[in-house]
Amino acid sequence: MKDDKGRVHRERGLYGLFLRIWGAFRRTELFKSIYMSDYPYNRRTQVLAVMNNLFLHLHPNRVTRYSINYRYTLGLGGLSFGMFLILAITGVFLMFYYVPSVPDAYFSVRALGTDVFMGQFFRNLHRWTAHVMVLLVFLHMLRVFYTGGYKGTRKFNWVIGVVLFVLTLLLSFTGYLLPFDQLAYWAITVGVRMGGSSPIIGDQVRILLLGSHDIGQATIVRWYTLHVLFLPAIGFWLMLLHFWRVRKDGFSATRPILVEDHPVLGPVKEEARG
Amino acid sequence: MTTKEATQEVKTVRRPDPLERVNTWPHFLIIEFIGLMIFTGLLIILSIVLRAPLLELAQPEYTINPAKAPWYFLNLQELLLHMHPTLAGVLLPTVALILIAAIPYIDKDEAGTGVWFTSRKGWAITKFSFIYTTVWVVGLVLFSEFIGTRQALSLLGLPPAVVDVLGGIVVPIVVMSVIPGLLVSIVRRRWQADTRHVIIALFTMFVASYVVLTIIGTGFRGDSMRLVWPWQLEHPK
Repeated sequence: MKDDKGRVHRERGLYGLFLRIWGAFRRTELFKSIYMSDYPYNRRTQVLAVMNNLFLHLHPNRVTRYSINYRYTLGLGGLSFGMFLILAITGVFLMFYYVPSVPDAYFSVRALGTDVFMGQFFRNLHRWTAHVMVLLVFLHMLRVFYTGGYKGTRKFNWVIGVVLFVLTLLLSFTGYLLPFDQLAYWAITVGVRMGGSSPIIGDQVRILLLGSHDIGQATIVRWYTLHVLFLPAIGFWLMLLHFWRVRKDGFSATRPILVEDHPVLGPVKEEARG
Repeated sequence: MTTKEATQEVKTVRRPDPLERVNTWPHFLIIEFIGLMIFTGLLIILSIVLRAPLLELAQPEYTINPAKAPWYFLNLQELLLHMHPTLAGVLLPTVALILIAAIPYIDKDEAGTGVWFTSRKGWAITKFSFIYTTVWVVGLVLFSEFIGTRQALSLLGLPPAVVDVLGGIVVPIVVMSVIPGLLVSIVRRRWQADTRHVIIALFTMFVASYVVLTIIGTGFRGDSMRLVWPWQLEHPK
């Protein structure tokens, strides 16, 4: 393995063997055809690795130490996206078994706990991750607010963020009905009653939400479609836009305009001046 | 070397320049990766020990008591107990979301960007606003539960239709305007708050009421949504 100055290090044992195999693979035509640049082992290739990767490309190539300090961002936005990924993966697993109809929806969810290998585990993971995501998105909003991250060029990204917060709630809420047990049924009854009390168009809103006058087959199909297709698709594209704007608008912490010492976490002034 | 000496040793090391630019790979990606691994690990453990709830098959003819919305909507459901449903369930959340989305177009001063709470003053205002809001919200919920706006109004001998409009719409709107207004004037007078600091006070008011109402709705509302202590709560059947 070469370091920054081109010196070669020889490792011994199993790790050395792994490095030799990995090194050989890196020289193959296959590896070079997959990655546009070499494995990121020095400053130049590290920049190229981010630049030449569709997914990492949403990040800037280089960031200031201050803006990636976990005490500043707390990692909440990235973690929210991480929760979205876990939900997408566990969600696909649940879709294999879920039947969106009355009353089969309930029995298919119950069967996850009795007939499906790891079924209960994936359902638990999906549900708890969903709760955690709602919490993280909310906390992310608080973080951006209290650090004044919405100012200047970042104005519109805050608005996108508010829309994403609403989408997160809607995703969670549409998923809440799907097990079609007593808890789901009555929670959705309460929720829809709220939406149904809209002035003037209340009844129309109710019908739009339920697909009928009561929660039933039509409601499940509607909410299932929204939950697994429409809302995640919209959310995914808005997330990409959100991350891309973070990069284009510049991190709020790159040029901190300093007021006083950090009120909670210590003296930022001296730190940020460097 | 003792621990104390070791700590002093560490302190003398010069901290890296926070404005130095470093490569995203690996400095940033490693933080994201570790954070995600920690959360995934904790969630896996949680999912092994805790089962997601599944009650009986939905039965439209048997209402569960209390029927509660998901926890993040319990703040709205809590408001439904105290005012007209259109006001609590539709108008208030819509107005709140629009105002939150409009924050960047109201508070445009870029001073303090990238600093937690902007300043010491901002942190003091945040704490004050949180406590101020919590006291008001808890006080109003207790008032509504044990006395009630409608009951208080009907003591004046007004006709029921007037009581409904006053108690369900007029009084709540007045209360929800006067309390933030009072907060703004306190913050302006005590801390000479500028726009950013006033917005901090008001946003904190939103956060505090969201959090406090959610806690009340989740932990303190039992049978028929009456106030109970959390240990008196029963699982809905």
